[in-house]
Amino acid sequence: MTRLLRALFAGALLLAAAAPVRAATPVDHGLAELAMSALADMKTRIETLTGDLAQAPDEWRKLNAQTREALMSGTGVRGFTYLLILLLVGSGVEWLYWTYAYAPYRLIESTPVSSPRQAFRVGLRRLVFLGSGLLLFTVAAIGASAAFTWPPGVQELVVAATLLVLVLRLAWVGVALVLAPGHAKLRLVPIEPRKTRWLAAAAMTIVLLLALGRFVPDLLERIGNAPRAASALRLAAATVTAVLLIAAAFAFLGRPLQSAGAGPKLAPPRLSRPFLAVLAIIAAYALWILSSATAGLIAAITAIVIALQMGLREWVFFFWKEEADKESLLPSIVLSAARFLVVVAGIGACAFALDTPVSQLATSEKPLVMFGLRVLGVAALMLLTNMIWIGIKTSIDHRLRQIGSPDSHDEPGPGARLLTLLPLLRVTMAVLLTAILIMASLWALGIEITPLLAGAGVVGLALGFGAQALVRDVIAGIFFLAEDAFRIGEYIESGTNIKGTVERITLRTVALRHHNGPLHFVPYGALGTVRNTSRDWVIEKFNIPMPIGIDSEKIRKMIKKVGEEMKADPEIGPLIMETLKGKLYRIDPGVKIFRCKFRTAPGKQFDVRAQALKRLEAALGKMGVGFADGTQTVLSPPGPAPAT
Amino acid sequence: MHAGRVVRSVRLFTGLVLMAFVVGHLANLALGIHSLTAMEAAREHLMDPWRSGFGQWLLLGSVVVHVALGLYSISARRSLAMSRTDVAQLVLGLLTPPLLLNHVVVTYMADQVTPDFDSAYGMMLAIYWKFSPSYAFQQLFVVVIVWIHGALGLYSWLVLKPLWRRIGALVMPVLFAVPILALVGFAESGKEVLEKLANDPAWKTHLTDNIVSIVKFTSQLDVFQARVLTGYGTLLLIALAVLAARVLRDRLTPVRVTYDGGLSAQGRRGLSVLELSLLNDIPHAHVCSARGRCGTCRVHVDAGAQSLSPLNDIERGTLERVSEGQPVGEGVRLACQARVLGPGVAVTRLLPAYADASAARQPQEWAADAPAGEVAQ
Repeated sequence: MTRLLRALFAGALLLAAAAPVRAATPVDHGLAELAMSALADMKTRIETLTGDLAQAPDEWRKLNAQTREALMSGTGVRGFTYLLILLLVGSGVEWLYWTYAYAPYRLIESTPVSSPRQAFRVGLRRLVFLGSGLLLFTVAAIGASAAFTWPPGVQELVVAATLLVLVLRLAWVGVALVLAPGHAKLRLVPIEPRKTRWLAAAAMTIVLLLALGRFVPDLLERIGNAPRAASALRLAAATVTAVLLIAAAFAFLGRPLQSAGAGPKLAPPRLSRPFLAVLAIIAAYALWILSSATAGLIAAITAIVIALQMGLREWVFFFWKEEADKESLLPSIVLSAARFLVVVAGIGACAFALDTPVSQLATSEKPLVMFGLRVLGVAALMLLTNMIWIGIKTSIDHRLRQIGSPDSHDEPGPGARLLTLLPLLRVTMAVLLTAILIMASLWALGIEITPLLAGAGVVGLALGFGAQALVRDVIAGIFFLAEDAFRIGEYIESGTNIKGTVERITLRTVALRHHNGPLHFVPYGALGTVRNTSRDWVIEKFNIPMPIGIDSEKIRKMIKKVGEEMKADPEIGPLIMETLKGKLYRIDPGVKIFRCKFRTAPGKQFDVRAQALKRLEAALGKMGVGFADGTQTVLSPPGPAPAT
Repeated sequence: MHAGRVVRSVRLFTGLVLMAFVVGHLANLALGIHSLTAMEAAREHLMDPWRSGFGQWLLLGSVVVHVALGLYSISARRSLAMSRTDVAQLVLGLLTPPLLLNHVVVTYMADQVTPDFDSAYGMMLAIYWKFSPSYAFQQLFVVVIVWIHGALGLYSWLVLKPLWRRIGALVMPVLFAVPILALVGFAESGKEVLEKLANDPAWKTHLTDNIVSIVKFTSQLDVFQARVLTGYGTLLLIALAVLAARVLRDRLTPVRVTYDGGLSAQGRRGLSVLELSLLNDIPHAHVCSARGRCGTCRVHVDAGAQSLSPLNDIERGTLERVSEGQPVGEGVRLACQARVLGPGVAVTRLLPAYADASAARQPQEWAADAPAGEVAQ
């Protein structure tokens, strides 16, 4: 559905492009009158055509005699000799080129190609080779033609003949690159291999017909002075082309390629592609006959643009067959760029077909012309913005998918910051792009945006004063995130003594979950100094009091041993970064204080400490030593009791 | 000696003779850039040797033998799979006799039937530029066609020789320049002749008399032409019929060849391995287009050697040449000579598909017997 919509949109654009030109001719009739005059035009056109057809044979005979006379003379012979020399010089130079270029060209052709994208790259290289050959031929032939003094009237003929050769060779380069008959792997379009040669032949025939229909009647009109024969010839060429196109539509558009192994699928009924194509061909042909050559041409261009728009997705994704999901970055960008290019090329072709004086249009004063041009500008802006948006969005989405969704039970990984920043960036870019698009569109439509900008500036200033705190929060937030002060999942403590795990980051606030449950929403501006306890490592220290009479060295060794055991423990060992150690720290009356210390991953110190205490207690028990009991024992000196 | 080798040498020799004649003729024509008198003066040296005694018979014999061998080689083909150069050679070669016949008859036969006929350049040019320009178109075509045919033949023979590295830079410009200069000479002398016709009534009368003298014999000459053309057409049809019959007969027994890199080709029995490659779009080097001269199409037969046609003289000679004194490797064949007569053939291409004429000139540099697929990477 969207495909069709897009195609229709492109068609509408083309019509919009044609509108200013139509508008250039003054039309001040009513609708009915317009229709009547169109009908009258149609009638005269048909009458002219039939008249031309009726008188063409006579003119043709006359022309034939003239041509024979002109050719069968010294002039004709000289013209032909010169033409042969041109072709010889051109092909000689090209042959010389190919004696050097053929081996590398064969190398390119025989490169093993595994994907259509690789085939595309190979195609570009082939284009360079084939194109250089053609260019050399052209330059040599044209250069040689400048060396002769041509008999009068012959030069136009020779130029037409050379152009015909060039057009055909150019078409062949295109066919050889895109269809690559004989090299299935190098093909750039999804098409059944056995149809390739036929399609190539059909394409070449149609190009030949079109080229003949373009050059020969012109010559007849200008040199032969036979406008009716020319008109009849044009009609013949157009008719044969239309018939061939219809035949080709049935032969090649029959059924879209089924991917192997997909199995039969019940597709919903829809208009078949050959039917649509034939409809378009007939419409263009009818317009050509009934209205004017230009109208037919524009109809044909519109039809081609619509057809391309409908087929572009399939064609572009043919190059990215292996990527299953249709939302990957590059194809999407290529697709939208291709759509854009096709429309622009269509508009250009229409302008060319209409013989539009482009430079005059740009400076035209007529309001409708100006409006049409501006609408065109806006459309171009929208397409461009859309392309940029697709680029940004798909790349951000792609990156987000790579990082994966956040899991609150896991450690905050290195991607946590991107996970925080990217959605923010996406929204910001959307807002920014929309704003720019609106501004640019207004500007393109000719609406003065300077006062708007100035007004926005004043209002912005006022709002800025009012929303100072808001602005401060947002900007502070950007810096916090840019400096990587905290990420989702980390335990932080703000300058205002609010502690908690970072749960959510928004444009203005950060949500901190306190370990007791409450959720704090802290504006960035109020965050102040941030103390992040979830980074890299923590050191934990604790004291154990021992009886004063204990051997300090023995206790120190015992603590060290417990530390080593803990490090070796499979469950708790990996958390420990520096093993438990203890030393005598202070001697108080009646008690020796030992200070113990270890280093762990952040947030794990509590578990490790509990474990350490438990093990220490057990070890002490085994040694038969208790902790200091905290009471002072008063010992009376031994001796005989005082006699009473 | 093997018949194929004799045919090849004779065809080459007669072709060279004809090429020498054409070069002389066109060079003579090119002198028209200077003047008509220069053309006439040079004719004595460039053209007259071919008109008398030995030269005459050599030329005539070469024409007949070259055409006959061309037709024979068509009838000896097993398929129409060939390179683009070969197609051009074949088509242009076939077109030449009918187009050229008229010219030969007027200049040569007319001399025989009317001894006082003046077939000088002035006369012929006047016919072409003034009295009957349709002949001129025919002749202009023939110049281009014959030259391209000859130049292609000469080039594809010489380029394989080690000598080419020294003379290539000389021969190529000559190959380009000769027809262009001849055409320019034709145009320039045409101008001169037209001018002379307008200003020299005596000469004009002489020419008109001359033409009248030949017109009497036109019907006689036409009959002769028609006979030759009919004969040529018949021979061509026979050659094509033989080819068609062979294709139809072989069609019944399909064969299959597998290549390195997992490729395989299918075709009729009796086709050479190279023809199978070309028919199946398998990249395969073939510089001399199946004449068995260059050795770039050589393959290693991995299996089914008994299903291939036996080694012939041409193949043995070329294989010995490219192996340069080393013994020819076991199982190495020329794909253009080894015809597939049975099932189970598997080959490995020994040269990459992009091998060019230098592979024939300096085989040792390309002798790294790596399969084509690997090198192409």
